[in-house]
Amino acid sequence: MELFLMTLINGIMVGGVYALVALGWVLIYKCSGVLNLAMGELTLIGAYVTLTFYQAGIPFVLSIVCTLIIGIILGILVERIFLDRLIGEPILTVIMVTVGLSFFFKGIIEFIWETKTRVFSPPIFPLEPITVGFIKISNVYLWSFILAILLFVIFAAFFKYSHWGLAMQATADDETAALSLGVSARFVYAGAWAIAFMSAGVGGALLGNVNGINISVGYLGLLVLPAVVLGGLNSIPGAIVGGITVGVLQNLSGAYLDRYFPGGVKEVFPFAFMAVFLLFKPYGFWGWERIERM
Amino acid sequence: MSHVWLPCGLYHQEYTQDHGWWQTPLIKGKMIFLLAIIFIVFPLTLTGYWFGVANMVGYTALGALGVQILIGYAGLITLGHAAFIAVGAYTSTLLILQFPWPNFFINWGLAYPISIIIAGIIAGLWSVLFGLPSAKVKGFYLILTTMAAQFITVDFILTQYISQIGGRGQAFSLPPGTIKIGPWIIDSEIKTYFLMAILLTLCVVIVANLLRSKVGRAWIAIRDNDIAAETLGINIIWYKLLNFFVAGFIAGLAGAFWVSNTAALSPEHFPWFWSLWLVGVILIGGVGSIHGVIFGSIFMVLAMELIQLAVISLGDVFPELMMKFLYIKESVFGLIICAFLIFQPRGISYRWWQIKNYFNLWPFSY
Repeated sequence: MELFLMTLINGIMVGGVYALVALGWVLIYKCSGVLNLAMGELTLIGAYVTLTFYQAGIPFVLSIVCTLIIGIILGILVERIFLDRLIGEPILTVIMVTVGLSFFFKGIIEFIWETKTRVFSPPIFPLEPITVGFIKISNVYLWSFILAILLFVIFAAFFKYSHWGLAMQATADDETAALSLGVSARFVYAGAWAIAFMSAGVGGALLGNVNGINISVGYLGLLVLPAVVLGGLNSIPGAIVGGITVGVLQNLSGAYLDRYFPGGVKEVFPFAFMAVFLLFKPYGFWGWERIERM
Repeated sequence: MSHVWLPCGLYHQEYTQDHGWWQTPLIKGKMIFLLAIIFIVFPLTLTGYWFGVANMVGYTALGALGVQILIGYAGLITLGHAAFIAVGAYTSTLLILQFPWPNFFINWGLAYPISIIIAGIIAGLWSVLFGLPSAKVKGFYLILTTMAAQFITVDFILTQYISQIGGRGQAFSLPPGTIKIGPWIIDSEIKTYFLMAILLTLCVVIVANLLRSKVGRAWIAIRDNDIAAETLGINIIWYKLLNFFVAGFIAGLAGAFWVSNTAALSPEHFPWFWSLWLVGVILIGGVGSIHGVIFGSIFMVLAMELIQLAVISLGDVFPELMMKFLYIKESVFGLIICAFLIFQPRGISYRWWQIKNYFNLWPFSY
């Protein structure tokens, strides 16, 4: 029971970070219809950029802010250079452009930062866990979760109260209507990519705190795909629930299934679960069921 | 209506001629010329290094052919094809190394050829297993299930379990002389080249013929509009699964061929990168065209070799470039894919078609 509760809570905490990255993914899909497979590399970029700032002596919170700014710039650049030309192209083309981008980024990341595992030194969060009753929660997880929730609140406020956020919401809801009311499509697409880069970047920085940063953080970023599928591709609450579900599933499978299938079950279980899940609920929990007509 | 351009004075009198394999003497001549180049001219003129490149082209083309059947002819987007290649390679290796063959089988060199076929069948069935969700989902969701196939097969089952068989740890080493077809031991690059050329020619012929049969027409109908295809009475689940089987079968052959080209087999030969690479190959070559597979493989393999040569020649000036060659390769591959999709979305095969058309009417293009 103790083990169960602990893995559950740790899962929810990591899941919060996944949910943050998933939010960026869903936003791009809702606003511009792009299915982005480069999310893993976006988290990597965020992790390495934060690390670089942190090693240069800037406090962690400020380096996160710097990462956010760089995320905005990169997001707008990527949208302008690559994806702007692909509006209206078939799905495979757009997906493969994001795959091409992911290779491009990955090559550049490895070129600049090489493949050794790096850690945040000195460690940002104290190493000894916090004990609540009989449950131990490590500081990294707790603070990551809190930071992720904080960013969620900021993003939610942005969407609800700011002019730009409302414009993006309108485009996601009905593109044609929003465009005819004078919303700038180019701005909305660029904004979606900027937010995706920001959320993935912060997610990467937080995930990098857990086990150190190497290329496998990009794999953690890829876990966002099962998360968005579980929630349904175009639902922001779905992304949050999906992200937390993936975190919980990952930790529970690591705790319980590892005995029966030694080695690496934690990494593949979310994907296996997703493949089976799709057989029963092809549109996730809250995805829009597409009705096709000839 | 024939797709083939007929020269002046040549016309068909029967429908069967319209569906013919080599419709004009010119095409027949070109094809025989091509076969002569592949089987006679190349083996006589190429040297060791270029045989390696040719084998790589062949291996890529075999893998990409399966991807082309899935993506280009049935619209089933896959990002996990390397998993099925890996299944083929491991099936073949395990059959050769572990299966208690009767002695005369080994003496006559039947073990490897039989293992190639079985590898194809097992990879095909494995592919059908992961194709099952295609009955319900399509598009992006199907991409995710094929990705799941990649991670479950290569990163989990093969790495954690299959690689442990025989207690060798990570890699299966193939002792020289184990890979034997009839009296020939496949131990040099030229023999591998011939194996590759025969396998590739057979696969291309089989696939090209399949595509002009009922099965191929059903696949193309499903690709163009699956609901319309269903209303026309095509059993789309059956044909989609058949498509997965054929693609997996060819992937299995490719994997079994790769066994002859390598001294040791490990899961690192089949990363997710390789699945994406194969999709990139058909996008660059042209989706929905068998020419595209070949053009794409030649282009990609040669491009990477040229980048390698360039990096090596620059290596004297910038030694750190040599260390980071792999990363440069990855970046360049990404940029090439993006550039092709943005500026040349129909691939090389479309240009080839334009050139052919131009010369069909040359010099009087009216």
